[in-house]
Amino acid sequence: MGRLFVAAVLLFVAGCSGGENAVPGGGKLDALLAKAPVHTGEVTPGSTVDRIKKRGKLLIGGSQDAPLLSQLDPISGELTGFDAYLGKLLAQYIVGKPQTELLSATSETREPLLANGTVDVIIQTYTITPARQERVAFAGPYYRSGQAIAVRKGTSGIAKPADLAGKTVIVGANTPGVKAVQDVAPTARIVEFGSDPECLTALKQGRGEAYVQDQALLVADASKDSELQLVGEPFTEDPYGIGLKHGDVEFQRFVNDWLREIGKSGLWQDVWKQTIGTVVTGDAPSPPAIAS
Amino acid sequence: MSLVLEGFLNTVALTLLSFAGALVVGLVVAVLRIVPVPLLRGVGAVYVEVWRNVPLLAWLVLFVFGLPEVGVRMPLFWTAFTAIALYEAAFVAEALRSGVNSVASGQGEAARALGLSFRQSLWHVILPQAGRRVVQPLANIAIALTMATALAGVVGVVDMTRAAQRINLELAQPLLVFTGVGLCYLLMAAGIGFGARVLERRLA
Amino acid sequence: MFDAPGPRFRRRVFWVSVASALVLAALAALALRQFAANGQLDPVRWRPYLTWPVWRYLLGGLGSTVVAAFATGVLAMAGGLLLALRPNRFTRAYAEVMRTVPVLLLVYVMLFVLPSFGVNLPLFWKLVVPLALSHAASCAVIFRAGVGSVDPGQREAGLSLGMPDGAVTRFVVLPQAVRHMTPLLVTQAVSLLKDTSLGYVVSYTELLFNGRVLANYNGLLIQTFIVVAFVYLVVNLALSRVAHRLEARRARIAR
Repeated sequence: MGRLFVAAVLLFVAGCSGGENAVPGGGKLDALLAKAPVHTGEVTPGSTVDRIKKRGKLLIGGSQDAPLLSQLDPISGELTGFDAYLGKLLAQYIVGKPQTELLSATSETREPLLANGTVDVIIQTYTITPARQERVAFAGPYYRSGQAIAVRKGTSGIAKPADLAGKTVIVGANTPGVKAVQDVAPTARIVEFGSDPECLTALKQGRGEAYVQDQALLVADASKDSELQLVGEPFTEDPYGIGLKHGDVEFQRFVNDWLREIGKSGLWQDVWKQTIGTVVTGDAPSPPAIAS
Repeated sequence: MSLVLEGFLNTVALTLLSFAGALVVGLVVAVLRIVPVPLLRGVGAVYVEVWRNVPLLAWLVLFVFGLPEVGVRMPLFWTAFTAIALYEAAFVAEALRSGVNSVASGQGEAARALGLSFRQSLWHVILPQAGRRVVQPLANIAIALTMATALAGVVGVVDMTRAAQRINLELAQPLLVFTGVGLCYLLMAAGIGFGARVLERRLA
Repeated sequence: MFDAPGPRFRRRVFWVSVASALVLAALAALALRQFAANGQLDPVRWRPYLTWPVWRYLLGGLGSTVVAAFATGVLAMAGGLLLALRPNRFTRAYAEVMRTVPVLLLVYVMLFVLPSFGVNLPLFWKLVVPLALSHAASCAVIFRAGVGSVDPGQREAGLSLGMPDGAVTRFVVLPQAVRHMTPLLVTQAVSLLKDTSLGYVVSYTELLFNGRVLANYNGLLIQTFIVVAFVYLVVNLALSRVAHRLEARRARIAR
């Protein structure tokens, strides 16, 4: 019986695994793709762009679990969010169709993924820092955000970052938040959890007094959860870049040109409105100035 | 540096306390599995199967986030302690049971044939022999438990592995940091092995 | 060695059963009541797990879990065989170290240390290689014990019949050893399958990681992990059943 059961499970699994998110996104994405530019200029043979073109699909390192930025809908297999849509649009620009494959990466794995060429680009709230620039080439920045503080509604005594001193602060493991908290409040006790819902549940269950995370994520959480309250404005400035293989100057220039183009045409703002703009009130910000 | 110390102490404390807890719970479960009451035997068997067949990491996540929902609020360290102790208890129970089973039949019957009562033969014949036989398996469980405490780092406890990783993010000296931490684990395992050998000799 | 139970003993067993059943039921009721009071038993929170797309996603994760476990198993068995066949100072030290260093630490070494030396494996192997390195040590112990469990008389009998040494190992010792080892190896397979849940840490999309993504998406953290734990339980119980079956057959053949 046992063996039969195992065999049945294996067959079952074999039948339903596979089929990554090959189907391009729904209505939102289609509207964006309709306006998306396609690269028409010359391509150096053997360059990164040439390789992607020949492959017919862009390999992206990113997240499956970042609401508003890059979140997989396990039901439809569709990836939505700001980072996810930018990836599709970049694929459209290079290949001519929104063919992408997402490899889930973590803060720990993304540099190796780029270095050994497993992915072409990393689009994953990847903060540009001088230390990282020694190992990774960045295009962009394509988005500016910052770490903000959230508390349970009714919490008193936390009004500014310095108030975190001596408190227990929940932070996403290996996010820029860890360092940000250490900088503004060295005496804060940091508790790390692996994902945003884990951190959120932990905050609500009283495992810490405050939760420090990227502002966009916190706004999204607060829009779904009335128990959550944001404290003040972001206290850091994190420019997010698209991670590329270190030293690939040609590809870096190529992606920067694309970012400038969609910034100018207003497509960048459209992506923002479809994703982060659904929870953040006010007009779309202007895209950040491209560094080089 | 204080982070290293905190992580090391947490790992040591978690190992010692969880093992003590696992011994107590494991003993109870082993007794449940041996007593002649069918219902209790069933409970013991279900306990062992359920705990052994689900990954510890899944238990940890479930305990850390699930327990507060059923009204049990404990600090993270103690939640991790509970999950690890209950998980390893299943293995302890099995080790104890097979220890008793390995002597029970022939020896026990001989003792009974000599006119000792059930209780007497248990105390004077079976348990002393079983005790010696379970030391090594229990030491193996203790070593596995030391390794298992590393998983507590994934659910917010600052253990040695988590501390190493956080330091590594700052210092970017991975080889040094991880070798050091690996040596700490080796040292702890060596300590457990040494303790087990001493205990075994004492019981012989 | 138990006495045949008398009427008084049987009565006592009955009352102990009733009392413990009551205690257990009370405990379960208390936990359930708390759970319900916090809204965790609301049908809305459980209904998604009755739908096929959710299961398709989770079982896809289970598929990756099985693939990783299988690859690890093959590598660990090969490594274990190598270690068991050459018992020298190095292999003994290797087994000793691998038995004590957490697999999580090995995974971190794979993630952080080796890349700076130019060793950069794909994600799948970053999970499988540390697991295999660790489980190879346990497999070696099992192999050695298996060969050790064969009565030395068997080998002597083979040799005295004039069979060459290699043939004795292959046709006399190994078949018996394999029969002794199989249940242990299945137990090892269960532990290996459980260890692939470390994919949670390296974001390899196995069952536990998919559980996290799903929980992220629908916000039902507790329900999702209960369901995931249940899937692990069913799969591993099925595996253990195979182990019991094999053990029973071995006992029959041995007799």
